Amino acid sequence: MPDKNIPEKMLTVEDLEIKFELRGKTLNAIRGISLDLYKGEILAIVGESGSGKSVFTKSFMGLLDQNGKVTAGKVMYYGADDGMPMELTALKREKEWYKIRGHEIAMIMQDPMTSLNPLKTIGVQIMEAVLLHQNLTRAEAKEKTLKYLEDVGISHPERRFYQYPHEFSGGMRQRVVIAIAIACAPQILICDEPTTALDVTIQAQILDLLKALRHKYKLSIILITHDLGVVANIADRVAVMYAGDIVEIGTSEDIFYDPRHPYTWALLSSLPQVGVKGTDLFSIPGTPPNLFSEIKGDAFAPRNSRALKIDFLETPPYFQVSPTHKAKTWLLDPRAPKVEPPPVVEKIRNGGLM
Amino acid sequence: MLKYLGKRVGRSVLTLAIILTIVFCLLRLMPIEGYFPNFEKMTPQQIQVGLQEMGLTDPLPVQIARFFRDLLHGDLGTSRIYRANVPVTEVLSDKVPVSIKLGILSMIVSLCVGLPMGALMARYKFRFFDKLGTLFIVCIQAIPAAVYYLYIQLYGTQLLDVGLLFDIKNPKYWVLPVLSMSLNNIAFYGMWLRRYMVDESNKDYVKLAKAKGVSEGGVMFKHIFRNAFVPLAQYIPTAFLNTVIGSIYIESLYSIPGMGGLLVTVIKKHDNTMVQGIVLLYACVGVLGLLLGDLLMVLLDPRISLGKKEGDR
Amino acid sequence: MKQFSYRHTKEAELMDSVEAASKNASSMSEDELFSFAEFNAEDVERTGYSNYSYWRSTFQAFLKNKGAVALLVLLGLLLLFTFIQPYLPGQYDPNMIVNDANGMQYRNVPPGDMFLLGTNSIGQDLWARIWAGTRTSLFIGLSVAVAEALIGITVGVIWGYVRKADFILTEVYNIIDNIPNTIILILISYILKPGVKTLIFAMCLTGWIQMARFIRNQILIIRDRDYNVASRCLGTPTWRIMMKNLLPYLVSVIMLRMALTIPAAIGNEVFITYIGLGLPVDIPSLGNLINEGRALITSPALRYQLVYPTIILSFVTISFYIIGNAFSDAADPKNHV
Repeated sequence: MPDKNIPEKMLTVEDLEIKFELRGKTLNAIRGISLDLYKGEILAIVGESGSGKSVFTKSFMGLLDQNGKVTAGKVMYYGADDGMPMELTALKREKEWYKIRGHEIAMIMQDPMTSLNPLKTIGVQIMEAVLLHQNLTRAEAKEKTLKYLEDVGISHPERRFYQYPHEFSGGMRQRVVIAIAIACAPQILICDEPTTALDVTIQAQILDLLKALRHKYKLSIILITHDLGVVANIADRVAVMYAGDIVEIGTSEDIFYDPRHPYTWALLSSLPQVGVKGTDLFSIPGTPPNLFSEIKGDAFAPRNSRALKIDFLETPPYFQVSPTHKAKTWLLDPRAPKVEPPPVVEKIRNGGLM
Repeated sequence: MLKYLGKRVGRSVLTLAIILTIVFCLLRLMPIEGYFPNFEKMTPQQIQVGLQEMGLTDPLPVQIARFFRDLLHGDLGTSRIYRANVPVTEVLSDKVPVSIKLGILSMIVSLCVGLPMGALMARYKFRFFDKLGTLFIVCIQAIPAAVYYLYIQLYGTQLLDVGLLFDIKNPKYWVLPVLSMSLNNIAFYGMWLRRYMVDESNKDYVKLAKAKGVSEGGVMFKHIFRNAFVPLAQYIPTAFLNTVIGSIYIESLYSIPGMGGLLVTVIKKHDNTMVQGIVLLYACVGVLGLLLGDLLMVLLDPRISLGKKEGDR
Repeated sequence: MKQFSYRHTKEAELMDSVEAASKNASSMSEDELFSFAEFNAEDVERTGYSNYSYWRSTFQAFLKNKGAVALLVLLGLLLLFTFIQPYLPGQYDPNMIVNDANGMQYRNVPPGDMFLLGTNSIGQDLWARIWAGTRTSLFIGLSVAVAEALIGITVGVIWGYVRKADFILTEVYNIIDNIPNTIILILISYILKPGVKTLIFAMCLTGWIQMARFIRNQILIIRDRDYNVASRCLGTPTWRIMMKNLLPYLVSVIMLRMALTIPAAIGNEVFITYIGLGLPVDIPSLGNLINEGRALITSPALRYQLVYPTIILSFVTISFYIIGNAFSDAADPKNHV
């Protein structure tokens, strides 16, 4: 009997490693990530560009580029219609992925301006998804499509159905993209920087829409973003990713009010919302490490002004901070010297983010 | 949309008028012996009288005005040497059907072979078929047409057991000219369709379609092929119209009684009015083809119908 | 319960890894391991920087393409040989009709000791004619390519930078682009006296506009790219932007166009000669030779007169095509690692 208090898992990732072959060199894009996604939650994955966020989630759908391979670990999916767990990393042939893509896991991409086919009406593009994943006649599918358009907040769906993407604004197009994703009737929705390309005013609308749709369609959402500000509003849990690894994971409260990893601190410090007027905005020195070479120790150590010597020698394990919260940093080791979190953490605790 | 059409058509008419004028003026520079069948035996006075009769001594603007007036009546002048005193249009009307038949056959072959080839090359990018296709395209582009046409004729005629001279009634004789004419276009369609399809397949909307769960074949055909075909469709009207003027090289190589062969013949015979008539036809076909290509794009690409050139993004 | 046990195993793992860590780093005491490391801000900024030189990478990439390099060497040797061939001992003049002791012409002598590649139907040495013809054809091809590039780049830069010129040149382009190239070629050759100059002139008359158009489009696109605007804001001089940001983008396509113009020009010469508007027979060219050979197509014994010129012609055009493409790939910054 499953315990009522333990949320149902939708997806588990165990020690996933992904490597890319690039002109004879190997790029270690994902370096042994483990992660659980629970039913109905919004899990945010935060990190700089190039940290491997998109690659990580693309591997759930078999959409890695040709030169990318999962070299270790596995991804299990528990939401299949027959209730049987599926090992996604064991799927080899394109055909096997068709059952997953859209049907179980759908995706929203960053740039709505380019993610719609410019030569097809938006109605046709949404209907394509409906017809693929729901056993309906064309007439029923059209009816359904109009409903989805309405659900994502597009007025006059009958008229909009016959329009082309270029007749829509960026925010509207992202709504159409969301409608396409919903029309697949998936269990998991991966949103890859869904608001990055949009105006700030539109961003909030899209996030609200996602929140509303999650309840209506009982979705589990993975939200990829580099913007912690976005995360604070919407996510239940947050995973902080750096150089192909998750360095800290916890509930939103954990990450914002009790962050433990120096990288999380640095990310929070560089939020414009917490900057002090008249002073320079904090920026993290240096660039992310070169993933072509094997990383020794803590990947963030070279950019961390208060790194320990051991950070350069040994990769830290996860230290459990609370049942929901863990971080990969030697600072949590009992032998480590005490390092105070930067003042920004105190500031957030007192004043909230906004 | 109508405004765009009007503008586009008006522009073409203007361009055509300018081009015809330029070509007409250039043709005035043609050697005068090309106006008389028995030039060598004529006295200077006879030549002078002859030129005056043809209106060739009039000031240039008068000649141009007369030329356009005649053109609107469908009069392209009279052949002097090739077929003495027969209107150019009459000579052409005998030849055009042959060229059109040849051209359309080769167009069908090019499209039916070139498009699937390009699509398969894009589908199996960097694999065996792609490499094979690329080899074919490189050969066709790198080896001068003059050379491989000759060898096709040389060995093809032996292989098919047909004579060197063309027999219009025997279908066997059509094979080699049609094949020769198609090769270049097959390479053209194959190469560009592959390139456009590879470009398209890297676009976000294709990734979204895949993420949607559309099958590989569905993505290839419904999204990538269709979108990649649009820029190619622009060339189809030109290709179609070009069938009217035929292929100069192939028609004369096989002595096919069509337009292309005719041009070579009249050039060799120095028949000025015939050269003028055919050259003008060429120019018209070029302009008209581009115009129809643009109009076709309006039908195929919804972004253009707003009158903007690119749409947004 | 589940999570509890999970914690336990994780803790156990943790202990293991800590032990392993201390073992590996046995040279350091535990205290030292957990002391702060030195932080060097300059070191941090150095990560991810590579020293990159455009031209070096281009040549390195090109040299990796062994086939193209081999063809380039062969083509160079061929070019060299066309120039030194007349000065070698025992060569015939390409236009000299060779007679035997009885004053009879050596007509259609098959390849052999006396005539390396045989003679043609009026007794001229094919070997000498082929090299002279290659020289003429290469000269035409190279001249057209260089002339088109020079005119095209100059006009293209003006077109792209001078806003007033844009309107006029665009109209000129629209007109020229509408006339089929073949027509111009035929027309000019028909009107003017046949000769090498006429051919070069006729081919250059329209070819430059495509190059100019291309340069203009690239300049318009690249000039206003964000990184160039940024570069200008930082005070980078215009020539430096041209050299570092603009040229690398253009070089690959300029080279490709030039490399493809040469075989196209040679092919056009063959075509024009074929329709009877090309060079007179006393100027041997590949077009002339092929045309002469074609006339003998019906007799297999004389086919060598067609085969040899076409082999040289095909070798030259294929080489230029492959070298051009290889260099254009190599010059494209996207293909540099």
